[in-house]
Amino acid sequence: MAMFRSLRPGGESSAAEQLRVLADEELMQLVYRGAADAFEVIYERHADVAFSLAHRICSERQLAEDVVQEAFLSLWRNRSRYDRARGSVRAWLLGIVHNRAIDVVRRRGTRDRGEVREEGIEHRIVARERTDVEVARREEAREVRDALEQLPEEQSRVIELAFFGGMTHVEIASLLDTPVGTVKGRMRLGLAKMRIALGAPAEMLR
Amino acid sequence: MSASSGHGGGEGCAPDAAPYVLGALTEQEHAAFLVHLESCAVCREEVAALQIVADVLPAAAPQMKAPPELRESIMVGVSGEPALEGRLAASRTRTRTRTRASWWRASERPALAFAGLAAVAAALALAVIAIAGGGRASTRVIHAEVSALGARVALLLRDGRAQLQISGMPASAPGRVYEVWVKRGGAPQPTNALFTVTSSGAATVGVPGDIAGVKAVLVSSEPLGGSKVPTTVPLIVAHIS
Repeated sequence: MAMFRSLRPGGESSAAEQLRVLADEELMQLVYRGAADAFEVIYERHADVAFSLAHRICSERQLAEDVVQEAFLSLWRNRSRYDRARGSVRAWLLGIVHNRAIDVVRRRGTRDRGEVREEGIEHRIVARERTDVEVARREEAREVRDALEQLPEEQSRVIELAFFGGMTHVEIASLLDTPVGTVKGRMRLGLAKMRIALGAPAEMLR
Repeated sequence: MSASSGHGGGEGCAPDAAPYVLGALTEQEHAAFLVHLESCAVCREEVAALQIVADVLPAAAPQMKAPPELRESIMVGVSGEPALEGRLAASRTRTRTRTRASWWRASERPALAFAGLAAVAAALALAVIAIAGGGRASTRVIHAEVSALGARVALLLRDGRAQLQISGMPASAPGRVYEVWVKRGGAPQPTNALFTVTSSGAATVGVPGDIAGVKAVLVSSEPLGGSKVPTTVPLIVAHIS
């Protein structure tokens, strides 16, 4: 297929349409055999959330672009190592993005950690035409944000500093002048509450 | 899990599970916890339960649209990648040297620029035309001159865009980043492409803008935030002939 052919709705070929109805795991079987067009569909599906995550962590547009680019190319290079039994393609990809973005932040130092600059704000998604899948993902995003925001501040803070700020629990304990054990406990309790808020059973809250 | 294992927490076993799934353990703790996980079913269960939340946490980031040019840049990398190793290997057998032109005006370059470049263990700039099948546009691969020992860099050109594929590059020094420059005739012009490399020394970097008229793409080490004029000798030089 032509590498840069538009795949926008309304102008796509039947081949592209057929690829779009496949699940990520089915697309990965094609990607495993070197199908760049199947890989491009995976890119379409997850590029926005990958870029959003990278930008949230790196706080800089160019660094976020570099992180996302490296993550997708890593996915392509390591396509033979994908094992659906170990998780979804999305989780695998976002795990790569997270690790690389954290590497960037830690290499850069503690400055600006956890902050989001307004740079690139014009690229935020404005809801307009959305596919059902996109609508579902936006709904998922809203639920996750709600679950995080409903936590007590001391729990959401340690989760955000760790996950989006790239700080270790030791660094967080120092920053907040709080014992390490307390920080770990807040992380666990916060995640457990979010899990329940997102629909899991409550047996973890002990 | 026992408290003596270093991860124990009595009734609430697995206190490291939460920082583990959040990526908040130190490197040493992370390695030790991985070993511990192999033998502790309680911790494995705890990690599995919390990982579900960590997996959806990216959705809590303010949602943004990926830049349109990112897709093209990635797909250029995908199209150039499968045969890249083979082409690099072939080029090494045909290595030849050539005299480098000055890469920026004498009045602007550091005094040691040429001395440094003389020591460059330069792979040569060798253009390869790679034609992918199936009606794809051609990708031109230029192997850059690299002063970092063991590093390999290819510049991929396609449809007026350029991308650096880097491997084996040393990490940038603390407080510094790598900056991409383009040279059209006079002094090299700065770009907004600042980057670091992965722990394995890899990076894929899109060269901003149209490559038309660009004579060379260069990379130098610069302070965080980049520079308007190069402050160090270039580590990477890719001549576009």
